[in-house]
Amino acid sequence: MSHTAKRWSRYIIAIVIIFSLNFIIPRAMPGDPLTNLLGEDVILTDSTVAELRSEMGLDRSWSQQYLDYWWGILHLDLGYSFHRHSPVSEIIFSRMKWTLLLALPSLLLGGVLGTFLGALAGWRSRRKGQKMQTALFLAIYCTPPYFLCLLALYLLSFKLDLFPLKGFYTTGSAADIAHHLFLPILVMTLFSLSRNYMIMRGSVLQEKSSLYAAFARAKGLYDDEILFRHVFKNALLPIITLLAMDFGFILSGALFVEIVFSMNGMGNLIYDALLSRDYPVLQGSFLIITIMVVSANLLADLLYSSLDPRVRWQ
Amino acid sequence: MPDVTKFSRGGLILFLSFLLMAVFSPALAPYDPWVRFEPYLPPGHEHLLGTNDMGHDILSELIFGSRVSLIVGFGAALMATLIGTAVGLLAGYFKGTTDEILMGITDIFLMIPQIPLIIVLAAFLRPSFWMVALIMGSLWWTSTARVVRSKALQVREMGFVQASRALGFSDRHIIFTDMLPNIFHVIMPKFMLSIASAMIAEASISFLGLGDPTMKSWGMMINFAFTRGGFINGYWWWYLTPGLCITLFVLSVVLLGFALEEQEEATMRLE
Repeated sequence: MSHTAKRWSRYIIAIVIIFSLNFIIPRAMPGDPLTNLLGEDVILTDSTVAELRSEMGLDRSWSQQYLDYWWGILHLDLGYSFHRHSPVSEIIFSRMKWTLLLALPSLLLGGVLGTFLGALAGWRSRRKGQKMQTALFLAIYCTPPYFLCLLALYLLSFKLDLFPLKGFYTTGSAADIAHHLFLPILVMTLFSLSRNYMIMRGSVLQEKSSLYAAFARAKGLYDDEILFRHVFKNALLPIITLLAMDFGFILSGALFVEIVFSMNGMGNLIYDALLSRDYPVLQGSFLIITIMVVSANLLADLLYSSLDPRVRWQ
Repeated sequence: MPDVTKFSRGGLILFLSFLLMAVFSPALAPYDPWVRFEPYLPPGHEHLLGTNDMGHDILSELIFGSRVSLIVGFGAALMATLIGTAVGLLAGYFKGTTDEILMGITDIFLMIPQIPLIIVLAAFLRPSFWMVALIMGSLWWTSTARVVRSKALQVREMGFVQASRALGFSDRHIIFTDMLPNIFHVIMPKFMLSIASAMIAEASISFLGLGDPTMKSWGMMINFAFTRGGFINGYWWWYLTPGLCITLFVLSVVLLGFALEEQEEATMRLE
């Protein structure tokens, strides 16, 4: 098997396993699978129950159900939410864009700023200012993102009244949306920045003691030139993979940030689904998040190999 | 490096005080965390950190909450470390196909969005806090496995391992008596960092109200403050201290983990 095929197969196997888990969970859990598939506060008459049972294929064999499940997914059919009276995929796609609006800028800003500041911190690790900065980002790194949100919201919105308390918009104009998004994005950026900062700092600290850096210094290059022309490139490589893996974390973080700020994205969708035990929405959201995380990984893999000639795909 | 030791000493002191707090909770807490006083009292003489909506004393809740939070953190980290070490050791020692398969599985686990999966599982299972720890542990072993594997690949080529093999010892014997003791020092920092991520995850799960409702962990306290109006009404004492406790404890563990990693790298350089 060639190298490329091996990598692709890994992604495909990951998707298949996670999707199969999603199939098994509601059917293997204690209780009636119909309740597990429909959600708990749905009240139905006996005749509709029987009808639904056959319509959803629960009276068929497991293997047949499994095939039906995949058939549905390939047709973007993620089930029907009886709680919200609409197809799950529709609900999720309408919410997803808001979550991405929150997560993507934070991921990018946090990635760029985190690697830049982290590189400087690693390069000048003995300076007092850098140590203070490192301590600050370390503290943020150790704080659950939603707690950071609570603090920011309490101080800046409750006490100082600088930012709106909740939601994505009140009037819907671009400036209004930006005003609402500022604080959540700030918190998310700090969250992602601190992770990249710690990694990049460690990475540069390691590269700093390598021979080529010493040679560049012996050649008479300026300190900053060595950092940005030589060390930065090498230290950056592991970051790309980590950024992709972090995408899952950022996305999960965004879910919690949304809950605190009462924003109508995926996070609140999942939260409401949890409160009302709306299982189809919960599972659909999990699938979509999985697909996004796996694609981010694939993207990083491709990017990595185009940047680092040593691991080019054959 | 003087600052490293200063930081790690601070981490150690913090860590030990939290540990003592968890062990001696009944002696340290001023009240029973389930006894009701006047609700919504701000911090004062009678109740150093105030009371919540049920009139429970927050300081006592915090002290007893440390038990739940620490047990979940340690339990999950222990589970993760055991699985990670086993997978990494086997992959690194046997190499070849075993390695390919085990590392393939590791890659796949790395791609699972963990928090969403735990949310889905917790929603169906309504787990006790032991289950939460087990579920998290069985998802968090990947980075330990990778580190252990790369170390195992080095150790297996060392003289004493080759000698054991030449003498005809069984694989099991070599893995347990030759490999494991020489890998232990890379496992410890990973263990500490796993505690950190497990604590944050537990706090997040509890914040969604998915934790064990009979166990008041720190995350659960924040969840109560958030859902029962403590946040909206500005009762900051209700959620501020549990949040700080989570942050400080995670910080102490991370500092210790980093210090151990640093030490490991320093010895590597000496070699």
